[in-house]
Amino acid sequence: MSAAAQFSAILRKDLTRELRTREVLVSVFLFVMLSLVIFHYAFASEGNDLTFFTGGMLWVTFLFGALLGLNRSFAQEKDEGCLDGLLLCPVDRVTIFLAKTAANLLLLLAIQVVAVPVFTLFFVERSYLGDLPLLVLVVLLADLGICALGTLLATISMNSRARDLLLPVLFLPLIVPLLIAATSATTAVFAGDTGLGDLTVRLVFLAAFDAVFLVAAYGTYDFAIGE
Amino acid sequence: MEASQARLESAASSAAGGRRLLGAPALFVYAGAALAAGLLLAFWYAPIDASSMGFSQKIFFYHVPIAWAALVAFSVAFVAGILYLRSSDLRYDRLGLVGVRLGLLFSLLVMGTGMIWGKAAWGAWWAWEPRLTTFLIACLLYAGYFVLRSMVDEEARRATYAAVFAIIAFVDVPITFFATRFLPEGLHPVVLRAGDAGMEGSMLLSLLVSVLGMTLLLAGLIRLEYAAERLRDEIADLKDRLGEVGR
Repeated sequence: MSAAAQFSAILRKDLTRELRTREVLVSVFLFVMLSLVIFHYAFASEGNDLTFFTGGMLWVTFLFGALLGLNRSFAQEKDEGCLDGLLLCPVDRVTIFLAKTAANLLLLLAIQVVAVPVFTLFFVERSYLGDLPLLVLVVLLADLGICALGTLLATISMNSRARDLLLPVLFLPLIVPLLIAATSATTAVFAGDTGLGDLTVRLVFLAAFDAVFLVAAYGTYDFAIGE
Repeated sequence: MEASQARLESAASSAAGGRRLLGAPALFVYAGAALAAGLLLAFWYAPIDASSMGFSQKIFFYHVPIAWAALVAFSVAFVAGILYLRSSDLRYDRLGLVGVRLGLLFSLLVMGTGMIWGKAAWGAWWAWEPRLTTFLIACLLYAGYFVLRSMVDEEARRATYAAVFAIIAFVDVPITFFATRFLPEGLHPVVLRAGDAGMEGSMLLSLLVSVLGMTLLLAGLIRLEYAAERLRDEIADLKDRLGEVGR
C-alpha cells in the first residue's frame, strides 16, 4: 500500500466516523455560534464600533473551537484502543500525522464555511467580496498551522493523565504568533485596510509558520506518538 | 538477598560519584568576580547615558546579561532535547529539565528588571513591548513544560515528550518575537542595530564583562542543579531497591 493510499484510508476512516456521529461538527459549531452571541453582549454596547475587534473575535472563537475538536480527535482512538491497531499496521508515523492533520483541517473548514458568513452578517459592516480571496487565503494558512501544531500536541497530551487540561496549556502559548498574524490580517480584510504591503508580510509569516511546524512535526512525530 | 545487598552498595558508591559533581564552586567564584567587576565598570567606568534614559540606563548592564543567560539556558534544553531523542540517555533529560528550569527563572528575572526599567524609562510598569511580551509568552510556554512533565508518569515517555516540547518551544520563541513586531511600534530602546555598535566602547566592555559573569553563573547553576537532579534520581532508585530488599 503506497503512502498516499494509506493517507487517504486513514483520512476516510476519520471522516466516516465523524459523519456517522457528527459529535465534533455539531458541538464545535454550536460552541462557535454561542461564542459569537457572547461576544456581542460582551462588547457591543450602544454604537461601539467593533470593526477593529472583528479579526480577534473570529480567531479567538475558532482557536477555542479547534481546541475542543483536537481533544476529541485522539480521545476516541485512545479510549477504544484503535490507536494500538493503527500503530500495529505497517504505516509510516508521518503518514498518520498528515492524515490526522488533514481530517482536523477539513472539519475546521466545514465549520468555518458556515460560521464566517454568519460572523460577517453579525459583525462586519463593509462588503468585502472583492477581498474574499485574501480572506480565504488567511483562513487556509492559519487553519493549517492550527491543525498541524494542534495535532502534534494532541498526540502528546493524549498519553498524559489529564489530556484535556494539558492540551490548552501547551497549545495556546505556541500558537500566539500565528494568532497575532491571523488576527491583524483578518481585521485588515474586514476593515478594508488591504494596503498590500502589510498584508503580504502577514501572509508570508503565516506560510512560514506552517512550514516551520510541519517540518518540526515531521521530525518529532515518531517520538510523539510512541511505539 | 546478597545480590540485593551488592546492588545497594554499588548504588551507594555511584551516589558518592554524584557528590563529586557538586564541586562547582570554582565557577561561582569566577562568576562572582566577573559580575562584581561588571557592576564596578557599569557604575564608575561606563558614562551616564546621554539620551533621555540617564542614570536608569545602568540597569541595562544587569538586564541584558540576564536575558542572554535565559536564552542560553533554553538553548541548552533545546540541544539536550535533540540529544535525548537521538540517544534515549536519561542524562540528557536531566540536563534539559535543568536548562528549562533555569531558563524560566532567568526569564522571570528579565521581566522583573525589565519592568523596573520600564517604570523608570516610560513611567509604566508594563508595556506591551515586543521583547517584554516575548519573554512573558516564553515564561507561559516553558511553564507548560513542567505541567507536561507532571502529567506523564512513565519515565521514558515523560523524557521523550519533554524533549519534543523543549525543541518546539525553542523554535517558537524567535517566531513569537517576530510576530510581536506586527503590533504597534514598541517603546524598547533599540541599542544594538545592525551596522553600528550603537554604544560607546566603555559601555560595551562593561556589558561584555557582565555577560561573561552571568554566563559563568548559569554554568555553575546548571552543574549544581544537574548534580542535585542526579542525586534525586539516585535516592528514588535506592528507595526502590530498599523496598525490594525489605520484601
